[in-house]
Amino acid sequence: MSAFKRVQQWATFARTWHVFDCKWQDPYDSAQVIKKYLMGLHKPIYHPTNDCGDVVVCINSRDIALRGDEWRKRAYFHHTGYPGGASWTLAWELHNKDPTMIIRKAIYRSMKGNLQRRHTMERLFIFPGEDVPQDIMQNVTNQIRQLRLVPTRLDHIPEEEVQKYPKVMDYPQDYVLK
Amino acid sequence: MSNKHLFLNSGFVRAPLQNGVGRYVCQLQRIVLKFCKTHGSCRGLRDFIEQDLVDFAKQNPGVVVYLKPRRHRGPVAVAEYLNGDRVWMNLANKTHSEITKWIEVLRTQQGDIASTRLRKYQYTDHPSIQGPWTPFTFKNPELNTAVLPDQKFGANDRLPMSATEQLRLMFEKQKLEEGDVKTAE
Repeated sequence: MSAFKRVQQWATFARTWHVFDCKWQDPYDSAQVIKKYLMGLHKPIYHPTNDCGDVVVCINSRDIALRGDEWRKRAYFHHTGYPGGASWTLAWELHNKDPTMIIRKAIYRSMKGNLQRRHTMERLFIFPGEDVPQDIMQNVTNQIRQLRLVPTRLDHIPEEEVQKYPKVMDYPQDYVLK
Repeated sequence: MSNKHLFLNSGFVRAPLQNGVGRYVCQLQRIVLKFCKTHGSCRGLRDFIEQDLVDFAKQNPGVVVYLKPRRHRGPVAVAEYLNGDRVWMNLANKTHSEITKWIEVLRTQQGDIASTRLRKYQYTDHPSIQGPWTPFTFKNPELNTAVLPDQKFGANDRLPMSATEQLRLMFEKQKLEEGDVKTAE
């Protein structure tokens, strides 16, 4: 193998680090996207026997959004193995205990349960907030696009921009503003 | 590939030394025909030897042909190739015309190709003109200098236009046409 071919090989199979912002994202929909990057399914060179999975850094996992009343209704099951060891933890309880757990479990469940899954999960980093250690963040060269638009709150929009927004209609004379 | 083919050799479609490009070298080196003079299953092979074998040997001077009469044995053809492959073929109960075709197969094939599993049905020395894919192929060059995470690269850019944005655009258009339009206080 020539020096050029060796570098070519190294470039093709290099691991890329991606960052994903979980803010306002559905963990179960996002898992379907993140899974593809973790397993390397997004690459044209993908093959089940070649080790081409990437590393994904998830940030802001504390700010994920569940649909409807899933925070109250979705339960996570655990069994200790002993009689009477079953426990059901609601999503909001689990999120209070560990804000990274829901997205981690969503990604874990999105992948097929084979021997490779544990090793693929090792390439996933989840952080509850924005602060990521520098030695992890310096490797990141790509960002995975979010699925949902993150809404902007009215009080976070600058005052003059709100003032300049078009007026659709006038209030009637007898309308009582609160 | 099924489980019973686990020990089958695998390979690619190859022409040895670009055979056939410019000149052709017959890859069949030697063919041994074993047959019985009395056995019924050798009938076709005996016919072939009587009628076609001399012509075959004349037309292919590069191929060594051996005949081995063996008493009370089935008819067999063993072909040896330039790359060292040896193909053993049973010709029992085959007719004259069938044997003519099988001998033609043995003469024209490159080696023992029947016992290799082709990994691909095509082969090229130059798999890619633009070079193999790397993670940076087709990537936005702005990512090289971007400080990630950045909303510019992270936000979904394929959503349809929102009503708010549409209203703002209509407003801008109206402002250009009319000049003075009401805004929120």
